[in-house]
Amino acid sequence: MNMNDSEALAEAARLWAIRVQDPAFQDWDGFTRWLEADARHLAAYEKAAEDAAWADATLATPQPAPPAAEPVRRPWKRLSVAAFGALAASVALVGSLTMLRPDPLQQIGTAPGEHRTVALADGSTITLNGGTRIRFDPKSPRTVTLDRGEALFHVEHDEARPFLVVASGARLLDVGTVFNVVAEGKAMQVAVAEGAVVFEPGPKQIRLDPGQTLALSEPGATPVVGKVDARSIGGWQEGRLQYENARLADVARDLSRNIGRPIHPSGRAEHMRFSGTLMVKGTPEQVLTRAAPLLGVKFTPQGEAWTMTPANAMSK
Amino acid sequence: MTQDRESSGLQGIVLRERARLLRFLIARGAGDEAEDVVQDLLQRLGSAPAQPVAEPVSYVFRAAENLMRDRHRSNLSRARRQQHWFESGDSDADAPLGERVLIARERLRQAETVLAGLGHRVELVFRRCRLEGVSQPAVARELGISLSSVEKDLQKAYRALSELKAKYDAE
Repeated sequence: MNMNDSEALAEAARLWAIRVQDPAFQDWDGFTRWLEADARHLAAYEKAAEDAAWADATLATPQPAPPAAEPVRRPWKRLSVAAFGALAASVALVGSLTMLRPDPLQQIGTAPGEHRTVALADGSTITLNGGTRIRFDPKSPRTVTLDRGEALFHVEHDEARPFLVVASGARLLDVGTVFNVVAEGKAMQVAVAEGAVVFEPGPKQIRLDPGQTLALSEPGATPVVGKVDARSIGGWQEGRLQYENARLADVARDLSRNIGRPIHPSGRAEHMRFSGTLMVKGTPEQVLTRAAPLLGVKFTPQGEAWTMTPANAMSK
Repeated sequence: MTQDRESSGLQGIVLRERARLLRFLIARGAGDEAEDVVQDLLQRLGSAPAQPVAEPVSYVFRAAENLMRDRHRSNLSRARRQQHWFESGDSDADAPLGERVLIARERLRQAETVLAGLGHRVELVFRRCRLEGVSQPAVARELGISLSSVEKDLQKAYRALSELKAKYDAE
């Protein structure tokens, strides 16, 4: 293969990677035929997709914010990257500049309905669901407090530098790679997708393996260990929420976080249960219209919020 | 609560489109494991009743594509972990944190310079589509350009960023 051929191949593969990653893409048969047309196409596509993922991740890395004492040099903040500034500052400030900052803790938050992935310098990433806030000390970015909301942690494991998450007062020590944490008021729930997590490291510690969850109703309460399909964890990233006999109060909480509107369960809706998958793509109206018959409830708009009530007996 | 009324919409699509999906998965590199991947897909789509999805067939294919990427990624990271086991003490991850921070900052800066060097529209298209998750047809409408112009802009951006990655990989 001469140089031009291989360039043309790389270019064609790049175009397919661009098309396939577009949420509106539909030409799967065309893509299949292209892959089949030449044995080299698959490898070229995988390289293109990998390069594209690298480029996306590199550019989504938190942008260092200038220290407060210095003027802003570059007008980079017009786009969403600005929101990463806080973390970037913290990461950038590991070192002598730390003393210049009066607030030792950095915060990163998302608005309801917004998702954001924060890349740490060690290769770990934290994906925040809507209505979420995390905090950490820039001197030790591998200790993160989840103040509220939900976050999926992909941790680069490092024996020498453990990764610790604090949520609703409980401490979770990473022993592996991927886990999801929800903090809601005093309650906390962790679900492990890969590797393992140690809940409250110490004499009474509980080790959680893939597919295990642990829920705590409030700090100091008896932890409840449960099971979940490990592959469903973090599905909210793709707009997919999966449940196994979950209380609708919890489902309503997750829906609010994803659509960015408060949902108030009323009456016995709160105690009803649901098993299955909900999609949270589209407008809040579309999401709730799809979810209502599955949950067996009715959603009624009330200003910005929605009330969730059991559907009448006829719908059963 | 009962859900039998609406059972298995997306799974039904997997079963109905099985032949097309298998052909796709084989072309996509699943080989002998294509059947297993279909099983995984059925599980992933949940034992739940399906939900109305705007383009259910496309949705199922997208799920299959994601599954292939996950498999690829987990194979890679397993291979890397094993390699790391043998060569411990010699990877990027072993560099001191401060150094890694500097490397990450420098790479971001260089990637931004590359992107900015491609012109305002390419940069805007890239950011809208890839960092803010807006669909390509929507970005085309926003900017009043054709979908193929959006694709070409993205192609330019990814070509230049691939070259940057190749440079780092060679270092």
